[in-house]
Amino acid sequence: MTEQSHLAVRAEDSDKATVLCLTGRLDGTNTAILEAAVAGHLEAGETLLLFDLENLIYISSAGLRVLLIIARKMQAQSGKALFCGFSEEISQVFEVSGFKDVLSVYRGRADALAAA
Amino acid sequence: MSAIRILMVDDELDLELLVRQRFRRRIRKGELEFIFAHNGKEALEKLEENPDIRLVLSDINMPVMDGLTLLGQLENIHPEIRAVIISAYGDMENIRTAMNRGAFDFVTKPIDFNDLTITIDKTLKHIDTLQQALQNRDRLVALKQELEVARHVQTSSLPEALPEGDDFDIGAVMTPAREIGGDFYDFFSLDDYRIGLVIADVSDKGVPAALITMVTRALLKSAARRHDSPGACLAEVNEFLSQDNEACMFVTLFYGVLDFRNGCLRYSNGGHNPPRLIRADGAVEVLQLTGDLALGVFSGHEFREQAIDLATGDALFLYTDGITEACNPVNDEFGEGRLDELLGGVPQQSSQEMVQSAVQAVEAFADGADQFDDMTCLSLRLQAFRPAADG
Repeated sequence: MTEQSHLAVRAEDSDKATVLCLTGRLDGTNTAILEAAVAGHLEAGETLLLFDLENLIYISSAGLRVLLIIARKMQAQSGKALFCGFSEEISQVFEVSGFKDVLSVYRGRADALAAA
Repeated sequence: MSAIRILMVDDELDLELLVRQRFRRRIRKGELEFIFAHNGKEALEKLEENPDIRLVLSDINMPVMDGLTLLGQLENIHPEIRAVIISAYGDMENIRTAMNRGAFDFVTKPIDFNDLTITIDKTLKHIDTLQQALQNRDRLVALKQELEVARHVQTSSLPEALPEGDDFDIGAVMTPAREIGGDFYDFFSLDDYRIGLVIADVSDKGVPAALITMVTRALLKSAARRHDSPGACLAEVNEFLSQDNEACMFVTLFYGVLDFRNGCLRYSNGGHNPPRLIRADGAVEVLQLTGDLALGVFSGHEFREQAIDLATGDALFLYTDGITEACNPVNDEFGEGRLDELLGGVPQQSSQEMVQSAVQAVEAFADGADQFDDMTCLSLRLQAFRPAADG
């Protein structure tokens, strides 16, 4: 029952920030994949990480928790984590849980980078 | 650390001297201790006397009981022991037989002591790994037993007897995905006219989540005794949970207070899936979010409230996302649409029947796919208003 859900994290460089594109499902079985993918960027002291969730089809509360942990870690080193590209399902999860008011949430990449 | 005991079985008496000589440093240091036997039968006796022996080095050709017979006995009586066979050079037939009877390795005569040392150390390392694995297995069994006890504690901490009156009935069910869950429900009388209803879901599952459920439930029940306002209760619990919350564990929690005198439900929703109100005619309404945040995320958050009026025959249905996010084998979600359809289709069921039919519908939908999240629901139907006492 601990079969891992599919999650792929792809890093893209843009002018202002590293963009991390999440594809698949983010839940308790695979949060370690995201944490590992982010660890290097945190250690390198990057100040801006943009998470593009456009191809994320599902996020569980354990997944939200990891996003919160990442946002807090970025904050602790005077950086910022931004989130964009919400499908209807994902944006509903952010709406219901109230996370849209806690995390820095934008419609698309351009909006996020313009605001950064 | 006490010396590792090795049993050496050989009918050549000179070997004893030779071994003591070659390994004298390690014997003196207290690392190794050799015990000697001269045939298989004697070896078995020595093993009886020294139950801590894990490594046996044995010759094949010996009087009384030979090495191959000894191997067969060891396999049955002392499966934890590893045996290394010492055989004549080139005696492949006996070596094959020995290996088939479970020998771990072999060395050949005349003994090359460098090779013997390497073989002994390699075998001891293997035995050590094996013992650690066995200890881990025992610890795992003990942990599983503890989890079973924890599951019992958790289940019995939920309100047990479902109260039933002429004017309402309650149904509830919690089905954890693992041994213990990160969901909980609760209900409690606040006074003669009001009942508190709670449903909550801790981020993540298993033991860490279960610990948070116990704390949250106690905090909320305590706050509910002191504050009439559901928002104030959530704010108080949120303050406790947000302090030093480095693990970023959070709780989505819905708390409502139903007044039986007029059917008014006041509630605050800390980031939880909105409960449903099922009207007596089967119409399903969503309890509007109060726009609040899950508990434990942000200290200082002020929680808002909403109110909605129940008429007699109306039912409330509170649930966690394990219900709506349950997937079938092709990864479709059960979803809120199916839930609402189900709830609207069964008006006037008893509350217990309602929660059970919801869980059964989800399980039928999942069609054998693994349950990934805890499933919990709580339902209350208002049968009649409760007249206020005079004065």
